[in-house]
Amino acid sequence: MNGWIGRCLRVNLTDGKHQIEKLDTDLLELYLGGRGLGVKVFTDEVDPNVDPLSPENKLIFCSGPLVGTGAITGASCNVITKSSLSGGLACAKMRGHFGAELKFAGFDMVIIEGQSELPVILSIIDDKVKLVPGLEYWGRSTAETEELFKKNLGDQWMARETYLVSIGPAGEKLLPLANLVNDRFLSVGGAGIGAVMGSKNLKAVAVKGQHSLQVADGSRFVQVINTLINKLNSAPLTSQSMSQWGTTFLVGLCYQKGILPRNNFRSTSQPLKNIGTEALNSAFALRGRGCFACPIACIKKADVKYSAFEGKGMVPTYLAIGTLGFNCGISDLSAIGMMSMLCGEMGLDPVATGGNFATLMELVEKKAVTPEELKIDISFGNADSMIEAIRLISTKKGYAKRLGQGGMAISESFNMPEIFMGVKGLSLAPFDPRAIQGMGLHFATCNYGPHHLYGYTFIDELLNVHENLDPLETQGKASLVKRYQDTSAVVDSLGLCNWPLMGLKFNNYVPMVNSCLGTNYKADDLLSIGERIWNIERIFNMKAGFNMGHDTLPERFFKEPIPDGPAEGQISHVKEMLPEYYQLRGWSEQGEPLQEKLQALGLEE
Amino acid sequence: MPRIKIDHTKCTGCRHCEAACSLNHVANTVNPRRARIRVMRDGNRYYPVIAGPFVDAACTSKQFIVIGDQTYDMCAFCRASCPQKPYFIEAETGIPLKCDFCGIPPSPSCVRWCNTGALELVED
Repeated sequence: MNGWIGRCLRVNLTDGKHQIEKLDTDLLELYLGGRGLGVKVFTDEVDPNVDPLSPENKLIFCSGPLVGTGAITGASCNVITKSSLSGGLACAKMRGHFGAELKFAGFDMVIIEGQSELPVILSIIDDKVKLVPGLEYWGRSTAETEELFKKNLGDQWMARETYLVSIGPAGEKLLPLANLVNDRFLSVGGAGIGAVMGSKNLKAVAVKGQHSLQVADGSRFVQVINTLINKLNSAPLTSQSMSQWGTTFLVGLCYQKGILPRNNFRSTSQPLKNIGTEALNSAFALRGRGCFACPIACIKKADVKYSAFEGKGMVPTYLAIGTLGFNCGISDLSAIGMMSMLCGEMGLDPVATGGNFATLMELVEKKAVTPEELKIDISFGNADSMIEAIRLISTKKGYAKRLGQGGMAISESFNMPEIFMGVKGLSLAPFDPRAIQGMGLHFATCNYGPHHLYGYTFIDELLNVHENLDPLETQGKASLVKRYQDTSAVVDSLGLCNWPLMGLKFNNYVPMVNSCLGTNYKADDLLSIGERIWNIERIFNMKAGFNMGHDTLPERFFKEPIPDGPAEGQISHVKEMLPEYYQLRGWSEQGEPLQEKLQALGLEE
Repeated sequence: MPRIKIDHTKCTGCRHCEAACSLNHVANTVNPRRARIRVMRDGNRYYPVIAGPFVDAACTSKQFIVIGDQTYDMCAFCRASCPQKPYFIEAETGIPLKCDFCGIPPSPSCVRWCNTGALELVED
């Protein structure tokens, strides 16, 4: 097989047995792999109403067909499960080297079922699949787990080539904010995936292998990649901004346009010192890290220093700066770096954690709860107490239990659900939807909650790469959102990264796909695969209890105009754009996929 | 004589060179374990190592290099394909691998795909 390995590993943790299955080639044509294939298999096998933390829920790791072949940015592995935070489908993208190594280990997909009695680590090393007792790793941070596991392998050459994804103490304690962490501090999605892995008593998955991948037309493939690398180098965003500062370069841009939220989305402008790329350069000595086969290398690592603490860590990304930092009123980059690093160690998702604390801080400010009751002085701008709180919630001991239930649960427990800034139970990524309308519509309709990684509309709305669109305009945004949602579904399914879209058109990917897989796809064929994936996700979510009423934003964005900044006076127009979006998708006015659409996509039952 | 100059401070550890090498030497096949260049990792650092001459015995004097507060195992930097480590050996046949600069005139595929400038072809 070209691209794909064609094998799937099914591990049952309840009885400790595993079996190797062949992948169905018809499914590969219809869903490509990665996110598409994983979602298809998951929705076929799991009941939408299953309890996310029960043994019946499954956890799927799935690499795309282009991963590991040397296709530019072909590195990502998707993790699919039912979210313990939203109750809907969860799909997180894992960066780094794990996805490629999974393919070299001989599998496109790993399906994890059941629940182990004792903590275990799934080790897939050199064609030997085994469950290693994980008791000695339990309770350790993600970095310690990786270090100890590699040490216990006993062979330094083997340890060098082994890649690990693990949960931290937060995931073990089934905290809904927990995520997975791989390659040291690379966070893998939110939506409580860490809690699902924790409920299975699976501490980590380790992979290494020597399998070869086949490419259909090697010489053509090499040529295509040469031209793509040149294209990326001639685009200013990918060649300079991204490779120099990573996603952090967005901070200044978003601030200028009034998109960067502050104090739980109640303001966008405040005299913010120390922001932007210059401050980043002075706060950290940056060192670029690339995921497998990535010419951009947007991950930045550095030594983090904050008060008494010193250590190696990741420079905070735009997401971490926005959610853990400004949205909680904190603008000290070293403090944010420290928090983002702690989140990595403890296995917490920066977006969910930031949203959780922003909600809590507003509750304190509105006097719904006093700091004395919480036993910690949590308030906007107080970095030290927030660092303390992040440490505490992952232990889930005593009073810290109440602090880490997730923004929605906290706001509901104080009868103020309106102050939770999130959709479908998940916190908003740091883009104020009032100042960037297309992103607002995407946040409202996305199957995976309000996260920009599933619909990169800001590439056209904010960065104006392919089209020059006004972020405040609503005209034409519905079709923009649909296009980007489908695009990101395809790109995720192929196992590629979305960031090159800042320099490449989606059409540029097509020759790479065809020369690698030996197929004859056109761009439209791929986009219709994306639409098919988007629809099966939607259908699963509707069976799990979501409906049109969930396709909305928090009331604040409709009622309270932005009080200050460049986008002053704006409100969100999602409700006006929604009918057009449903129509473009071929859904009914209630947002249900119509029979004709399903037939056209080959999904009728 | 052309050589490949390595600047490890520019290496991001993306291993695109490994993929390029194996694609160029084994038709239509990608496998970093069959590549003649490997990216080693030690702590926070990455450094590419290009396969050199074959030796059939391990060294008798094992060296360690101390840079700053960290000690590095010389074996990891070493270019030889030797019995000591499982690198630069064709897995199926056991034949040792050596960099051939991708033919004459030299145009190494790893240098072409290295986008950060960590690998560079120089004449001296």
